[in-house]
Order: sequence, then C-alpha cells, then structure tokens
Amino acid sequence: MSEVLTKTSFTIPVGPIHPAVHEPVRLDLTIDGEEILDVDIIAGQVHRGIEWLGMNRNNAIQSIYLAERICGICSASHPFSFVQACERAANIEVPKRAEYIRTIVAEIERIHSHLLWAGVAAHEIGFDSVFYLVWRVREEIMDLTEYITGHRNTKAMYMIGGVRRDIVEEQFPRIRQSLDYYRSIFCQLKTVFLDDRTIKLRTRNVGILTKENALKYSVAGPTVRASGVPKDVRQDQAYGAYADLDIKAITPDIVTGTVVGDVYDRIIVRLLEVKQSIDIIDRCLEDMPAGEITSEPKLVKLLSTLKKAEGEGVGRCEAPRGECFHYVRMNAGEETLANWKVRAPTYANLMPIPSMLKGGQIADVPISFASIDPCISCTNRAIVVDISNGRKFSLENEDLHKLSIMKTRRLEENLVS
Amino acid sequence: MNLLSPEEIVESFKSSLGKDLVDSTIYRQEIASKANLFTSISIVVNREAFRDAINHICKLQEDPHFIVISSSDRGDNVELIYHMSIYYGLHLKEISLLLTVMLPKTDLRIPTITDILPGTIFAERETQEMMGVEVTGIPDNRRLFLPDDFPAGVYPWRNDEAGLKPEMTRVLPGRQGMKHE
Amino acid sequence: MLADTLLNVIVLIAGPVIIAFLGAIFGLLYLGVDRKLVAHMQGRIGPPIVQPFRDVDKLMVKESIIPDSAIAWLFKATPILCLVGSISLLLYIPLFGQNAMLTGFGDAIVVMYLLTIPSLALVVAGFSSSSPYATVGAQREMVMMMSYEFPLAMSIVVIAWRIGLVTNLNPFMLSTMAAYPIWGLVGPLGIVGLLILVFSMLIVTPGELGKIPFDVAEAETELAGGLLVEYSGRNLALFYISNAIKSFAVVSLVVAIFFPYNLSPILGITATVPAVILDVLFFLLKVFVIMFICVIVVRAAVARFKIDQASKFYLLIMSAVSLVGFVFILLDVII
Repeated sequence: MSEVLTKTSFTIPVGPIHPAVHEPVRLDLTIDGEEILDVDIIAGQVHRGIEWLGMNRNNAIQSIYLAERICGICSASHPFSFVQACERAANIEVPKRAEYIRTIVAEIERIHSHLLWAGVAAHEIGFDSVFYLVWRVREEIMDLTEYITGHRNTKAMYMIGGVRRDIVEEQFPRIRQSLDYYRSIFCQLKTVFLDDRTIKLRTRNVGILTKENALKYSVAGPTVRASGVPKDVRQDQAYGAYADLDIKAITPDIVTGTVVGDVYDRIIVRLLEVKQSIDIIDRCLEDMPAGEITSEPKLVKLLSTLKKAEGEGVGRCEAPRGECFHYVRMNAGEETLANWKVRAPTYANLMPIPSMLKGGQIADVPISFASIDPCISCTNRAIVVDISNGRKFSLENEDLHKLSIMKTRRLEENLVS
Repeated sequence: MNLLSPEEIVESFKSSLGKDLVDSTIYRQEIASKANLFTSISIVVNREAFRDAINHICKLQEDPHFIVISSSDRGDNVELIYHMSIYYGLHLKEISLLLTVMLPKTDLRIPTITDILPGTIFAERETQEMMGVEVTGIPDNRRLFLPDDFPAGVYPWRNDEAGLKPEMTRVLPGRQGMKHE
Repeated sequence: MLADTLLNVIVLIAGPVIIAFLGAIFGLLYLGVDRKLVAHMQGRIGPPIVQPFRDVDKLMVKESIIPDSAIAWLFKATPILCLVGSISLLLYIPLFGQNAMLTGFGDAIVVMYLLTIPSLALVVAGFSSSSPYATVGAQREMVMMMSYEFPLAMSIVVIAWRIGLVTNLNPFMLSTMAAYPIWGLVGPLGIVGLLILVFSMLIVTPGELGKIPFDVAEAETELAGGLLVEYSGRNLALFYISNAIKSFAVVSLVVAIFFPYNLSPILGITATVPAVILDVLFFLLKVFVIMFICVIVVRAAVARFKIDQASKFYLLIMSAVSLVGFVFILLDVII
C-alpha cells in the first residue's frame, strides 16, 4: 500500500462517534484530497455479551426478551428468529394463527424501519426537510405498533410456541386505517425520493455494489437485492405466514429496468418494500385462521419442556436490513441454552463497505454507509462484560448509584455556597 | 441450475467425500396453512475433507450464501458449524446447510475458506478470537470485536480453563454466576 | 475647527461600534427568523426567534478549548480576524436606506475583496486547528471561494459598466449605484439581462454564506462540522457572530446593487424622522425578502451538493448564466 500512499494522503477516522454513523463503529478512511484510497472497519464498540448471557445466565424464555434488545429497531426480527430456532430445537409446534400474527408484527416493523431509514438517508445528504417530514409520517406506524403490542418499539409479542397477544377482529379497522394512510401517501413518498433532482444527484452512481461483490461477500437484505440478486428469506424459505403468500423479492429493475447497485437502487428497493409490507399485512388480516395463539400458554410447563429438550435448531427471518439468523442448541437438564449464535444482517453487510467506498469522495461516505442501513448493535453482541487486566470496563450498579448521589451532594453544596 | 432434492444432496456429498462424511441428517418442518416445508440439512465432515465439502457446496450453487460460523465447546472437542444456504432466489426452494466440523482441543486448527468465499472473513476472525481456533491462512489476523487490551489466551466462548475467569465477570445480586465454574 | 476634528474622531470611533452592534443584532435576528421559518417548513415548531442570542450568550460562558496540536496564536487570532473582516464589510455597504458609513472611501471592488476576508479567516482557522476534518473543510472552503467568485464579480462589474455609460461619477461606488438605479437605465432586453444577473447573484448568496446546499465546508454529516470542528466557547461565538454579520452584509449588498430604492421619496415624505424610520423598515423588509428567497426556501428545499458538484455548478453553469445576462445587457446598449 505504501507505494500508493503519497505524502498528500492522510487518515480520517469516521467514528466511533461521528454524525455520519449513528451507532458506534469506526471507519478509518485513507484519503487523498477528497478521494478515498482505502477503508478499514473497526468494530466492537458496543459489545454487551448477549449470547454469553443466554448461554450462562438466562433461561430460554428470558432470552427472548434479551434477543429483542439486541437491536433497537429489529425488536421483532431477532425474537422471531430466536423462537423459531428454539421451537426446532425443542420440537414445539406453532399454531397457524400465531404464524400470521408473527408475520403482521414483523411487517409492521419493516415499514417502521424503512421509513426511519429513509429519514436518516435524507439527513445524511443534508436534506433535513425530507428527514423531518418522513419521520412525521413514520409516527403513524409507531402508533399502530403501540396499539397492537402496547409499546411503540419493544414489542414483546413473540413466545416460544406462539405469540403472547392476539390480534382480534375488533382491531382490524384500526390496522386497515393505518395501511390506507400509507397507501394514500405512497405516491408522494415515491415522488420525493425517486424524482427529486438533488436526491438523484447525490445517490445515483454512488456507493456501487456490483452483483459479483454482493454474491462474493454473502450480502443480505435490500443491499443485495439492490444489486440485482432476488434473495429474500420470505420468498426463499418457508417460515411464518410468508410460506402461504407468494412473496416475490423486489429488485430495482422493476422500476428502472436496469440494475446499477448504487444508493438510488437501494432507495427503490426499500420504498417498494414498504408497499409490499402493506399488501402482506392486508393479506394476513384477510386470511388469518382462527384458533389458539400459543401451543402452551402455561409458562412453567413450557419452561420444563424446554429444560428437558435436547437438540439444535436454526431460525431465519428476513429482517428489514436482511437475513437475521439464530442458531440454538439445547442440552437436556440445563436451564440455559447450550449454544446461541446470532448473525444480524449488518454482520454480513459491513464486509463489502470498503469496496463500495473506495474511489469515491468523502461526501459519499455517510450516504453510502447509511445505505446498507447499518445496525452496529446487532452486529456486536457477544463479549465479556466486565473486568480485564484488572481494569473495570463498566461500573457496578451500586457504584453508579453512589456516583449519582455524590454528584447530587456536590451540586447541593455548590448551590449553598 | 439443476435443483437436487435434500436426499440427492446428501447422496452427492457421500459420493464426493466418501468416508470423510461422518454423519448427515435432513430436517423438515411443515409451516403454516399450506404446509410448505422448511428444509435444513446437517452434514458432519472430517477436518481433512472440510475444504472439499465447501467446494462441493459451491458446485451445488455457484455462490452459496454463507451465514455465519457458530462454535461450541463440547468437552474434549470444539464443534464448528458453518451455516450456509443454497438455492436462494427461488420461491420456497432454499435449503439451510449446517456443515459441522469437530476439532480436538489438542489441535485447534481449521483451514481458511476466504479464498473460496471471501464473505467468511468476519466469522473466521470472530471464531479465532472468541473460541481460540486458529484459522490457518487467514488474510486478516486482527481481532474483530475484542478490544486490543483484552488478555491473550482467554477465549470467552470456551467452557474450560481457557474461558472467562470468574473474576472477569460480574454477578448481579440475586443471580446465579457462570454455569461452568 | 478643533471641535469639528474632535467630532469627526468620535464619529469615526463610535460609528463602527454602533454599526457593528446593529449588524450583529440584526444578523442574529435574521438567523433566528431563518431557523424558525425553516422549522415550520419542515413540520417542526423550531426554536424561539431569539435563540441565536441565547446561543451566543451560552457560548461566551463556555470553555474555549485549544487543541494541543493546533497553532495556538493563529487558532485564537482567526476568529477576531473573521469578525473584523465582517464588520469592515458593513462599513462600506449602504444600510437601513442610508449611505454607507465610509462612503467615498471605497467602492464595490473593495467590498468584493473584503468579502473574501471572513472566508480566508475560516480557511486559516481550519488549517491551524490541525484536525483532519478541519483540513478537509478548509480545502473545500477554498474551492468554494474560487468557484463563486466569477459569477459574483460578473454581476457587479456588468452593472457598474452599464451605470458608467450614463454618468461621470465612479460607477463602482455603491452610492452611484443608489443614485442611478440600474432598472431605470435599460430597455426590455436589458431587463431580461438584469433578471438573469439578479438570479445569479441570488444563487451566489447561499454559497457565499455557506448555507445548504453549499455548506460543503461544514457538512455536518460528513466532516462533523468541518472547518470549525475544533472551535468551542468564545472563539466559536466570534465565528457565529461574524457569520450572522456577514449574512446581513451580503444580503444588504444585493439590496444595494439591485434594489437601492427608498420608500420615502416615492411617498413624498420629507420630514427627516418619519422618512428615516420608513426607510429603515423598508430596508429590513427588502433584506428579509432576499434572505427568504435565497437562504430560507433553498435551505428547506434541497439536499447538500458534493464539493465537485457545487464547484462545477458555480464555475460552469452560473458563470455561463451571468455571461448570458451580460450579453443581454450588451445587446440592449447596442440596439
């Protein structure tokens, strides 16, 4: 590399704290003027040891809620994959109605996530008006999530063997009302994102990921679809209610006729997926079978079944950002999981980043990086929680409490003096 | 692309790997109202035939989708599972593959497959730092998630003496400690 | 005689101070209006109009951190240089419907040179803070300065040349431009040319002020604040004020060149006090209208350009546009 790097090149660290990356990750850019010569990704700033906790401390049911907190946005995809993996490991059946409810919640999350992304993308290219307006539009789906699950984001709907709450007939009109709202504004969204001159100027031919590279790096989700690979777990492998619906993976050539693999194509894919999700929810509401919502409503009994279970299972689902994968192995007699491995979509999507950024400009970094919709918290999960080399990584609860009291005292003294 | 049934895939592994194929299982599950099948195949191979197995998967589909490596401590052995999927892009035809390799703890080495599937680099780096499995020929030997000042020779996913030391973890009041103390 | 000199000295000292204060107050006020209006366009409530004053107030009491690797004296000097540059700009531009304070001591060419001083100070500030973000920001600021200079100079020179055809006074003097409003001198073709020049001047303004879509030097999401990333506390406050003053000055310059009209002669008000009040209000309205068109609306309606896109836009497209404007005015003269 040293031959390439002349004196004029220097390194810019983007992150771990930088407006372009909304979660802690570091991209080291070697630049010459405005041109990017080399990119290095340094991850690992938000490790919380979630898999380790599932393997050492929590029982399987507790781990569902931990899985939900792997990511702030994919709070449906991770438990969805996790409960599938557990059900396969422990051979638990899922009622059909539960599959439909799971699907509806997962699709609501997709609409929410894609709209959130659209706002962030607009902000990254300095188009704050679109950012604010899209996020205002997003409020409707947040309200709907709250209406169905009781919380705007942390849904807590999934349970091994089914779901925790039913979606009943009386709730359908409210759901349809939200869907109609998004149908009515979809054309506007499409005009804003696909026809606006400046957006096109900033996203066309920027951050190109070729089909070849996408396949080489096993990229997932809208990122790989925008490069022209019709890969979508909802279409490819049977899970949830998607197995009953004819899902077709969305690629950008549906709109433009060609595949470039740039940021603009990723916008197209995400935008059309919002429409697709609306249709999926509509179908699920129509076709929802009657019946139980869980195969084992008594948690104590379920827990003892899980404790006796021996086996392994994989759970896969298409999260808004791509394939979310959980692998679980259970040993009989152990309350905790014997093994738990999570692969969030960004884990795979980070790898092609250097090839997307190289040769581009610094100005393209935020939007190119944002265009894979990176979720760093998802990617970094498993690690030690606390002390190493005799140095504490984090403070004990009690310590924090003490510090907090001390600060209050200090402030009080200042006030008096 | 010539789509093989799960049984045919197992057969093709048998004929390609011979006695290096230790075990194979096919898992099927009926999903939702139309009872479409979720299919996954678990293949266990010897380490010597590991790269051949990967090459064989690449013959089934040119660019198999690599997902992740999961690894677990099984007493005297370390089990690595390479999770992959083939036949994606077609409606409900995808098959999940679990390619398992057992490594004895006396010789924790596995050849890299980044030359065949470049997308495995993160997973290999992670396996190396978390499980203490040496990936031979890996192009990027740095740590992925662990900080640089993390002590060498400690591998968080191991359950034996190379795993986390009890003093490195914190037990919240009212909670049990590490399972394998 | 002595009293006169003394008075002159007092005026010379007090005048700039007063003008600087007025410039800062109105600059910050317009910034607050800008933020409020943009917020409403974006569906937000936005901060109160006096927010910029509070920002300055807060920055003044904050710690000014100087990075270890920065060139300290330069790092501290540039905010003052920037402020001085912006204030001296104000002294040469007719404000509030009155003549400029230093009328007769400098013309539009001086103003054009003075315009580059705050930008240059920013560039030096960026380089002296020795942060990679600031360095890239400084490079971008330099490119921007070179890019918008031609269309800006073109508009001013063409108008001065046209005025020069009808008077013996120095046409570059802003007072001459006020005495001979350009719109009255030209025929239909010239009006078209002038409209084109106004347009190019309005497009240059956001670039000159570093506002979206031309805020490449500060580009928050790319360079984390760019040029000023290392500045804090009082030093940042000085840059903040100079930016507000410069915005006010640049828009006033557009007003002085293209719309030097006063309301009082038209309405026939001759009494000094009402006339001045009326002119001041009318001037503030003109400034608001220009700012609304070229800063507020633009900022809400477009995304940020990349540096090469912004530079090409000014160097090629806007230069061509201003040349077309010139050709129209030339044809108007010939025919």
